[in-house]
Amino acid sequence: MSRRTGSMGDILALLSLRGWAIVVFAFIFAPIVSMAAFSFNADRFPSLPWAGFSLTWYEQVFADPMIRRGLVNSLVVALAVAPLSTAIGFLAAYVDYRFQFFGKRLYMALASLPPTVPVVIMGVAMLTFQGRIGLSGTLFGIIAAHVVISAPFAMVLIRMRLADLGTDIEAAAWNLGAGPWATLREVVIPFCAPAILASIFITAAVSFDEFMIAWFISGQNETLPVRVLALLQGQVSPRINAIGTLVFTTSMLLVILAQALTFRSKAGRR
Amino acid sequence: MTKFPVTDFRGLLPMLNRRQVLKGAAAVAGSAALGGAATKSYAQENVLNVLTWPGHGDPAFVKPFEDQYGVKVVVKEYVGGEPMLALMNQSPPGTFDVVLADAEYIGMLQESGFIDELDPADYPLADYWPEFQKFPLHWSEDKLYSVMIRFGYLGMAYRTDMLTPKDVKSYKAMWSEKVKGKVGFFDWYLPTMGCLSLYNGNKPPFDVSEDAFETLKETLFSLRPQTNGFYSMADQFAMLTNGTAGVIPGIGDWVVLLLQNEGVPVDAVVPDEGGIQWTESMSIVSSSPKKDLAKAYIQYASSPEGQFRTARLPAYWASIPNKKGWEKMIADAPEDAKKLRHTFDARNVMDEYKDGKIFIRQTPVQQDIETWNDAWSEFKAM
Amino acid sequence: MSKTHASYRADKRRFAVLIGAPSLIWQLVFFLLPLLFLVMMTFWSVRNFRLQPDFTLANWKMILNAGFFQSAYLYTFAISIFAAAVAAVAAFPVAYLISFRLAPAAQRMLIGLLVIPFFTSLPVRVYSMQIFFSPSGLINSVLAGLGLSPVTVLNTPVGALVGYLTLTIPLVILLQIFALNGVDRQLVEAAYNLRCGKFKTVISIIIPSARVGLVVSFALAFVFAFGDYISPQFLGGSNPPTLSILMADQVKSGNHWPRASVVAMTMIFTLMAMMGILLKFAYGRSAK
Repeated sequence: MSRRTGSMGDILALLSLRGWAIVVFAFIFAPIVSMAAFSFNADRFPSLPWAGFSLTWYEQVFADPMIRRGLVNSLVVALAVAPLSTAIGFLAAYVDYRFQFFGKRLYMALASLPPTVPVVIMGVAMLTFQGRIGLSGTLFGIIAAHVVISAPFAMVLIRMRLADLGTDIEAAAWNLGAGPWATLREVVIPFCAPAILASIFITAAVSFDEFMIAWFISGQNETLPVRVLALLQGQVSPRINAIGTLVFTTSMLLVILAQALTFRSKAGRR
Repeated sequence: MTKFPVTDFRGLLPMLNRRQVLKGAAAVAGSAALGGAATKSYAQENVLNVLTWPGHGDPAFVKPFEDQYGVKVVVKEYVGGEPMLALMNQSPPGTFDVVLADAEYIGMLQESGFIDELDPADYPLADYWPEFQKFPLHWSEDKLYSVMIRFGYLGMAYRTDMLTPKDVKSYKAMWSEKVKGKVGFFDWYLPTMGCLSLYNGNKPPFDVSEDAFETLKETLFSLRPQTNGFYSMADQFAMLTNGTAGVIPGIGDWVVLLLQNEGVPVDAVVPDEGGIQWTESMSIVSSSPKKDLAKAYIQYASSPEGQFRTARLPAYWASIPNKKGWEKMIADAPEDAKKLRHTFDARNVMDEYKDGKIFIRQTPVQQDIETWNDAWSEFKAM
Repeated sequence: MSKTHASYRADKRRFAVLIGAPSLIWQLVFFLLPLLFLVMMTFWSVRNFRLQPDFTLANWKMILNAGFFQSAYLYTFAISIFAAAVAAVAAFPVAYLISFRLAPAAQRMLIGLLVIPFFTSLPVRVYSMQIFFSPSGLINSVLAGLGLSPVTVLNTPVGALVGYLTLTIPLVILLQIFALNGVDRQLVEAAYNLRCGKFKTVISIIIPSARVGLVVSFALAFVFAFGDYISPQFLGGSNPPTLSILMADQVKSGNHWPRASVVAMTMIFTLMAMMGILLKFAYGRSAK
């Protein structure tokens, strides 16, 4: 970056850049802050001014069996989707990295395009299809659909890591007599381990937050985001804010924890 | 699709160095930990599956039943009769044990063989107001198929700081300058078009000739410049509260009672042209493997205790047909009985019924549901 | 060729097939098949709320000729393009600031902040926007305090736009940062040394070098806005409805999955065409 001292115009430009960035960040975080604030508001129907502090909505969230069931379903789905889609994404990434073949573009298109199809359409397609084969309304149906949209994320992450693996390393392993399977197991997978771990968490996140497809196909087995959407459409209740805040707070605590851990392990290595 | 150079996509998805990815990952693990303390899954035998309007699975109503029978009530919520029919059609047999539907859909459910005939002796119909003991839409060839649990009237709900009681004596208020751009709609063709049909003088409002239907469409379309938006069930509460909507036709007490409790300046009215009655009625699903439990659930819902509790469902309040339920409410929650006008010594909700202003909500008689629906879609997209 | 060599090659082939199969099979069965099924569904009919296999063009004719479809299509297309453009323009200064003008620590922290919205449910975020934009909400209170007339946002296209931006802006900023980080810093430094002003450098060096990423971020913003159901419903008040709302309506009213499928097909064609055009634009000129 330029080391020259900025002119007056430069300083003004930088200031207005920063000002604009503050506006944009305020826009991004305003709803999150308001969600947290109104989850403690005594009034049921959100309006200003503030009506007083209350924990009612949190009590109701913890007491609501449908919300608890939704949470359990979401967790089951996310825990199944994460390893499945990571495995599928890993294999697709490895195919892209390792092989050249006729129709590869088509193969890769199929492996990477699902997230670009609007979820409303995916939901309709999944329901009509899964309804036919008796999968709709089952947790496996949701898992199958979520793997479709999460595997591409895993593939992208792992493919980025594979790009750093020199092709000669694999060749060297073969020359030493290792078969392709052994090479995959002993060289490639360990090398990709960080990306694989990351994909497991990212795909779990994609699944845990997905509401539209699950809304169409979940039937009786509502996931948490589907319950939130149903609450949002069916009845006004700050419980929505309370759920949102709980999920958000837990996420943030773990972000901080993760950062602290990374920092510690880095410091330890020195 | 093959044209997309897929290899170039990968760098563009939103990721971040490894550290950020791990952060996000940890976040997910966190949400998982949150659930760790959550519940066991329920054995299927101990579950009663109910297909219902939103809010009816609230512990405030189902808890006593669950405790008494040692079961869990699991509800699937829908909004509007057509989604309910769709769910009944799509779900495998045995999915639902009880269905709570609006009376006008009971006939369709019965014709499609989805619901069982009921024995009137099983339910406290004798304690119901006489008008509801033999509610026509619940009976077919003198056989009972459904038991009314709640009801209410639909006219207009309005903000009292925007319109006066005099304004809302007629549906004409919706065309008033005072609420230009502030007429909201519950996004369901049936109640709104029913009220407008009454405004046009059609009695009963859902049995109209082709000509009258064309006029009804014109009446509806003429409201478009006044329109604010098309609301989900929950949005009606929010929009009346924050003043985005000044008046909403086709709704009633079920929306305003809760808002009045919170001090929002709203009221509901049945205009002079008349109003529409809605009901929520329970039936036993024919494919249910747990019909005894289903029967017990409907018995609970129609009992004084169940009636008292369902009237004041946290999602939305409603009137109840069982007089013993009224008595219980007058004894246990006299304030709420007054708000719901469930008292015997003053003018109460049954008087409007007796005035002959109230018409039962039905699906269209002379036209297809689809025809009315398409008119609604057209109206929305104008 | 020796026998071992041949069997080695057979091994390798088997290896390749086994590695390649899972993704292919899963996406064929659970992605492509449902979409093909959706195509087939457009020719089915509905009687008494029941789907019936059929081969009729009635759904296509009905939807394509319906006034409400045509207006919803034009509206959805226009507002999605507009939303993507606003998102891209609003995001760029922020992405530029983070990528070029901030210290690495601040950069990392802000990127970390931008990830947060992805862990907060979109419906809840969009719903929370209602409180800011309602007639007596925060924005109008501030405007009133300044002596300005109130603005109506809820249940208008502007409301929907607010929702679309809530959805797309964090994503667009992240993608733009990623694209800008890929710009050759030496090139930028060289431009400065040639006394090229900061603004001119952005226009003539940075944006062209990051074009692919910038266009893709725009394209994805368009894709997300075009298919979103939450924003036009909860902030736009279906006034007017978008294609995704129209789809839901067709299903709600009379279980009309075939018509909803027709709407879905028109959306998919539109998205494919748009992506094709935009990517061609992104890569086209750089291919020389």
